[in-house]
Amino acid sequence: MMTAWEWIRFLIGAGLIIFGLFVLFTAVYGNYRFRFVLNRMQSASLGDTLGMLFTLAGAMVLSGFTVFSLKMLLVIVFFWITSPASSHLLVHMEVSTFNKIRREDEEGGSK
Amino acid sequence: MIRNWFRSLYHWAEEGEFSAAGEDQSPAEQEESSVCLDESNAWLAEVRSDEGFVPRFLSWLGTPAAAALYRDLYRVFAAVICLTVTIVLLVTVPFLPEFGNPDNPANNEVSERYIERGLEETGATNIVAGMILDYRAFDTLGESNVLFAAMCSVAILLRVDRKGKEANIPEIQVWRWDGKANIYLRHATKILIPVTMIFGIFVVLNGHLSAGGGFSGGTILGASLILLSNAFGSKRLEHYFSNTVCKWLTFAALMAYACLKSYSFFTGANHLESGISLGTPGALFSAGLILPLNLCVGCVVACTMYSFYAMFRSGGIEDGV
Repeated sequence: MMTAWEWIRFLIGAGLIIFGLFVLFTAVYGNYRFRFVLNRMQSASLGDTLGMLFTLAGAMVLSGFTVFSLKMLLVIVFFWITSPASSHLLVHMEVSTFNKIRREDEEGGSK
Repeated sequence: MIRNWFRSLYHWAEEGEFSAAGEDQSPAEQEESSVCLDESNAWLAEVRSDEGFVPRFLSWLGTPAAAALYRDLYRVFAAVICLTVTIVLLVTVPFLPEFGNPDNPANNEVSERYIERGLEETGATNIVAGMILDYRAFDTLGESNVLFAAMCSVAILLRVDRKGKEANIPEIQVWRWDGKANIYLRHATKILIPVTMIFGIFVVLNGHLSAGGGFSGGTILGASLILLSNAFGSKRLEHYFSNTVCKWLTFAALMAYACLKSYSFFTGANHLESGISLGTPGALFSAGLILPLNLCVGCVVACTMYSFYAMFRSGGIEDGV
């Protein structure tokens, strides 16, 4: 018999995980759908940050206040430090080495 | 005799035909070399005439027909070899022991002993560390030496010798952006470096207690060194961690490993008391030699990883480093 508090916790956790999975799915879809490199990069880093955050937050809510959820918090912190940094560096490299990038950007990035 | 033969061969390569060797020879030597000369010239005449089989074959090899035949043969042999290997592998599969079967040959008395008496004999709660650093320590020493040998051979290949040859040696280029990394990367590195370093040291030190050990912990340490060098420039890192330090640290770690393990092999083979206590299983200072051996392996792996990166990024090593 689940109490009302447990029901609320379950619903919040499940909702967070479902939203995170939705973001991850969007990221993967965008990664294949977009043709322009910076758009692809944006969707890829979206999955790494926002999708990871919501799925792990949902798992944390479901597992309650334990050492396990503290570890998941550490995973989130680690990902939010490293993943944007690596995406940023990749984009930086792309922009500084690819000469025609400004023109493609102005054309709408369809190429 | 041999010298004369080489001399005439050299002459042939230069001039196109065998000739008498130099003037500075005694009559006997000249006699000998003239015999050699006649034989060689006879062989040369046979090769050059259109009669023999070998020269005709050699000239035929250059024709398009030969190229086409070679291409067809290549295709046929490639197909035959691929099919043979595939069939042999597929035929072998049904004879392999079933996965997970307790009667498999892998489940013999060796692994049984590792599992049953590993804790008691090595003192390590991590049974894998007990295996690779106690039962099979000799094998692990070989693996660490392979890393060191790889490092040495890369250093030999990338070495730039400046002594005596001023010209034609390009300057060793430091990367244009060295030490000018993105501000974002620097801030992320400032936060991450202490954590990754401590985590790597933790994994090395706890190799005998939990999952991990010298190889995995050394990899974490090497990766954090690479990150540090990327963010703040290899010049700044080289103040206290240059290639020389790297090399000597690896050497010292390997020597320490070899000495420690030699001692324990010697005492063990002669049934002597080694005097190394195994301690209480689960404590940090326990399991005898496994902790120092893990430290040595961690040093070797971290130095190898970092020095590969450092050597390939600069594209060369100054002489004497």
